[in-house]
Amino acid sequence: MDVSDSVLDHLRHVAALPDLTATHYELEGEIGRGGMGVVYAALDRQLGRRAALKVLDSALAGEARIIAQLEHPAIVPVYESGVLPDGRVFYAMKLVAGARLDRYAAASPSLAEALRVFRRVGEALAFAHSRGVIHRDLKPQNVMVGEFGEVYVMDWGVETVAGTPAFRAPDTRLDRRSDIYALGAVLQFLLPVSAPPALSAIAGKAMKADPAARYPDVQSLLADIERFQEGLAVEAWREPVWHRLRRFGSRNAVLLWLLAAYASVKFLLFFLRTL
Amino acid sequence: MDSETSIGGPNGRFLSTQASLLEAVAAGLTGEALDQVIALYWKPVYRYIRVKFHKDNEDAKDLTQSFFAAALERDFLERFDPAKSSFRTYLRMAVARFAASQHAAANRLKRGGDVAFEPVEDQMASTESPEQVFEREWQRQLFSLALDDLRGHCEECGKQLHFRIFEAYDLAPGERPSYAALAAHHEIAETAVTNHLAWARRTLRALVDQRLRGVTSGERELRQEMRRVWM
Repeated sequence: MDVSDSVLDHLRHVAALPDLTATHYELEGEIGRGGMGVVYAALDRQLGRRAALKVLDSALAGEARIIAQLEHPAIVPVYESGVLPDGRVFYAMKLVAGARLDRYAAASPSLAEALRVFRRVGEALAFAHSRGVIHRDLKPQNVMVGEFGEVYVMDWGVETVAGTPAFRAPDTRLDRRSDIYALGAVLQFLLPVSAPPALSAIAGKAMKADPAARYPDVQSLLADIERFQEGLAVEAWREPVWHRLRRFGSRNAVLLWLLAAYASVKFLLFFLRTL
Repeated sequence: MDSETSIGGPNGRFLSTQASLLEAVAAGLTGEALDQVIALYWKPVYRYIRVKFHKDNEDAKDLTQSFFAAALERDFLERFDPAKSSFRTYLRMAVARFAASQHAAANRLKRGGDVAFEPVEDQMASTESPEQVFEREWQRQLFSLALDDLRGHCEECGKQLHFRIFEAYDLAPGERPSYAALAAHHEIAETAVTNHLAWARRTLRALVDQRLRGVTSGERELRQEMRRVWM
């Protein structure tokens, strides 16, 4: 049977659509696709709410179980999972209204806001690591920032995914340190060109080619971010003396101003007494 | 470019319990396995040779035929190592080597060693690389075979109406009829139209996957090829 280009494209599309006739979901349309699955928007007819349905090859049925075990405010909650008539698996999850992190970052949020989002991503990752789950493909496209500022890390733990080039560690075997590399790459992605050198150094340390030279865990990286935000020296950067003085100055500005005022008054009094 | 060749290789029999390529070879069914390979790859190989080596219709047919004949003689399937590449890539590279050596030999005979590709205008105008043409034709032939399988399956199990609705809607060359029009034409409910379409699409997908199973080394490569087709 001859198949034209347009019919071929149509068949590839419609034959890949999930058959949801045996479920309580009604397909609305595709909202995203990755190397391992396609995500559709669907209407849950029972509850009258919209949901995101991710459809995966049957060999990846474990992904839904992995994510369902990760109950964290920055990880998209899974409602349920099921098997389609053709053997593929799907899981339904919260449909997040918002923007992907890459698009969110394109709007140039302030440094403080970028760091807030980054820390939420890091907290989700740290939690997953504490449960023995690694992400394997962390990148801005897998992070959603909701309309209320909530942050969700998505697309967890698919075994055969080897990462996305710009965010993939050069490691032969993916583990927690590979996730830390990707987290560093996400930080670098979020930083403006004129980012403080301490933050660039944190991203650089997380992205060291040698896994042993990176942060040992996500908490250490987040602690360095917190130190930066509190005006303290970060582990990742041996700062020059002038920079240390400047940081000391900006951290203790009030004290220095009081000291300066006190010295000025003392000097003025001394000057007046000598008249 | 010349009109499409009518030669398409054997239209390999659809097996309900399809063995993988390596399982078939291991079971001594090399001939059957090669039939499946030729059914799927004859046209992609032919098109690839035409575009990459600028061959005319007859030369491309001859080269394609020679390639598969040589493959039969030279333990082509037995030498495939799935650890090194997918079968699709292995076959395409083997075709490239074979056709290049044949092309060079033909040119040596004609011109005493000069190799000059003859431009074919419509091929030159194509923006697709020979590898993209190969990939596209591979997908086209895969679906073409699966559609033949689907038609046969529908006839076997008395679901001709399912196929007619599927054909009228999903295989329509231009504008698709509405579900309501299809329902009225076949005097069935509109929900029956959508159910028949869902069944046909689901079955087509299974048949495509079955075809893929017959030309891949095992589960891992099958999954990769399925992603290539469906993602």
